[in-house]
Amino acid sequence: MPPFEIVNNQYNIAYYCTRHQCLNGKGEKTAFRWIDHKGERADYTFRQLDTESNKMANVLLQLGIKKGDVVFTFLPKMPEQFFAFLGILKIQAVAGTLFSNFGEEALADRLGDCRAKVVITKKSMLKKLLRALPFLDKLEFILVVDGDENNEKIMSLPGLLEKSSDSFEIPVTSADTPSVLHYTSGSTGKPKGVQHVHKSILTQSYTSINVLTLNEEDLYWCTADQGWVTGTSYGIIGPWSLGITQLHYGGAYSAETWMKLLEEEGVSKWYTAPTALRMLMREDKNIFKKYPLKKLQHIFSVGEPLNPEINTWAKDVWGKEVYDTWFQTETGSIMICNRPRIKIKPGTMGKPVDIINAAIISDDGKPCLPGETGNLCLKTPWDSMFIDYLNNTGVYNEKIKNGYYYSGDLAFCDDEGYYHFVGRNDDVINTAGHLISPFEVESSLLEIPEIAESAVIGAPDDILFEKVVAFIRLKNGITWSDDLELKIRIYLSNRLSSIATPQDIRVVEEIPKNKSGKIMRRVLKAWYKGEDPGDISTMEI
Amino acid sequence: MIMETFDELNAIFCKVFYDDDIKISRENTADDIEGWDSLSHLNLVVAVERHFGIKFTDAEIAKWKNIGEMYDSLLLLIQKKGK
Repeated sequence: MPPFEIVNNQYNIAYYCTRHQCLNGKGEKTAFRWIDHKGERADYTFRQLDTESNKMANVLLQLGIKKGDVVFTFLPKMPEQFFAFLGILKIQAVAGTLFSNFGEEALADRLGDCRAKVVITKKSMLKKLLRALPFLDKLEFILVVDGDENNEKIMSLPGLLEKSSDSFEIPVTSADTPSVLHYTSGSTGKPKGVQHVHKSILTQSYTSINVLTLNEEDLYWCTADQGWVTGTSYGIIGPWSLGITQLHYGGAYSAETWMKLLEEEGVSKWYTAPTALRMLMREDKNIFKKYPLKKLQHIFSVGEPLNPEINTWAKDVWGKEVYDTWFQTETGSIMICNRPRIKIKPGTMGKPVDIINAAIISDDGKPCLPGETGNLCLKTPWDSMFIDYLNNTGVYNEKIKNGYYYSGDLAFCDDEGYYHFVGRNDDVINTAGHLISPFEVESSLLEIPEIAESAVIGAPDDILFEKVVAFIRLKNGITWSDDLELKIRIYLSNRLSSIATPQDIRVVEEIPKNKSGKIMRRVLKAWYKGEDPGDISTMEI
Repeated sequence: MIMETFDELNAIFCKVFYDDDIKISRENTADDIEGWDSLSHLNLVVAVERHFGIKFTDAEIAKWKNIGEMYDSLLLLIQKKGK
C-alpha cells in the first residue's frame, strides 16, 4: 500500500475520504457495504459517499452553519451517519458523534458544553434529545433523518437534502483546523470534549497501513460504534483515506450473525473489542467450525487489555492471533500495539508504533527502569494528538508535562520493549472499552429521591473487564427493596446510558470518606474484593 | 387475558426504555427498540419477572430470538404459576 500523502496543502479529512478517491480512479469502487439488522444489504461507492456528503454539506451551509460551528450526530450505525460526518467536515465545521445509547443527561452535558448548533438524529431517538432540549439554549436545529416534521427547530433531513445540490467545492483546509470532537470521562467533573484537528488523518492513515495492514484488496470490518473514537478514526477516517472497502453492519452483537458476516462477506481484516471476543469465547465451538473464515487474515482488538487466553482461544478456533492495540480518545490513533511483522507477546500492550515515542515516567518526573511501574506517557506532539479539552484548558495543561502527554494509565516496559498495562492512576472505570466517570454516575444516583449518598467504583469483571459497582446510603425511613433496585437501574440507564448502569448495587450504612469529605474509593474497592483496605487513618465515618 | 398480558408487557417496555410510544409486536427484536442492548436487557428481564411474579431460567432467556418468543415463555410461566 503506498503511503498516504497530502496534496496541495489540503488537509481536509472528508476530501481524502471521498473526492480524492474519485479523482484517483476509485469513484466506482465500493466504499462500504451496508448490511442492516434484517440482513438487507446495499453497496455505496466512493462517488456516492462524495455526492451524499456534498448534499449534507450544502444543507448545513444553507442553515447558516459555518467553519468552527459544532454539529453532532446522534445516530446508530447507519449510512446517514457517514454522510453527515463527512459533510460536516467538508464545510470545516466540527464533527461530534454521540453514542446512540446515551440518555438525556449524557446528551445535555455534552451538547451543552460544546454549544452544538445542530444535531442530526432519527425519529425514535428524538424524544431523548427533546428531554435534554431545555438545557441546550444554543442548539438551533435538529435534523431528523427519517422524519417528516418541519418547524423552525426540527426539520426533516430528507426534505432538505432533496433540495440540496450534490456538488460542493471543498475548501482548502489547514492542518490545524478543528475537525472531530469526542467526549471522554474523567474521574472528576463532567465529561470533557476532546478536540482533534484535520492533520490527524496523517497518523490515522499511517497506522491503518502499518498496524492494521490495510491494502487495496481488503474488505475491512471495524465493529466499533461511531459514537466512540475507534468508530471515527478506524471506522471512517483511516480506511477511507486509503480507499479501502469497509463492511458496516447495523445489527446488535450475535455470535452466529457475526461469524456468518465474516465468512460470507469475506472480511479480510477485522477490528473488534476484547469484550466481544470474550463473549464469543463462551459460545459453542461448533459455531466456529461452521465458519472457518478462510479469507480472514488478521484480527485486531481495542478498548481494554486483551487477556492472553483470548489469543490462545483464537489460535485454536481460527488459527489466528489477535493483535491488541492501545490508544485513547486523546491520542486519536493507535499508539502502542502488537501487530503483524513483530513478534506478538500475548497479554502485553505491544510496542509503540514506530512514529511514536512512549515512556514510563515516575511521579517525580524521572524515567522508570524496565519492569518498574510508572505513568504511561507519550512524547508530544504527534499529528492525531488532541489540541485541547474544550472549555477545560487547565486540565489539558495538567496532562502535558515536560513535553510528554500523561495518559492516566499505569504501565511498565519490559526488557524487550513491550509495554504492560497495570491499571489507571485515577478512578475512571473502563467497562467494555468505554470510560465511565464515577462522578457522573454518583451525581445521577443522587437525583433519585430515596438515595442520600452514593459512591461508585470499577470492579474486575470476566466479560466487561471492569463493571460499575455502586454503594448507596438510603435516606432515613427508606427500606431497600427489589423494586427500588430496579427503579435505580432503569433511571440510570435512561439518564446516562446502559453502560453506565451499575451491575451491582450495595446498600451501606456510611460511605467511607476522608477528613476533607472525599470518597475513599480505594477502601470501597478493597471491601468489595474482600481485601485489606490498607491505611484508613484518614478515614472519617 | 392474553391480550391484556401483551399490553402489560408493552407497558413494561415503555417503562424500561422511557418511551410511552413503544408499540411492540411479536416480530420485534432488540434492533427495533432504541436502547435495547445486552445491558438494558437485564433491566427488562428483571422488570418483567417482578411485574408478573415469575422467574425465567437462563436457558429460556438465551433462546429468545424476538419478543414473541419472550412472550411465549412468559405465558407458560404464568400458566404454571396459576396451576
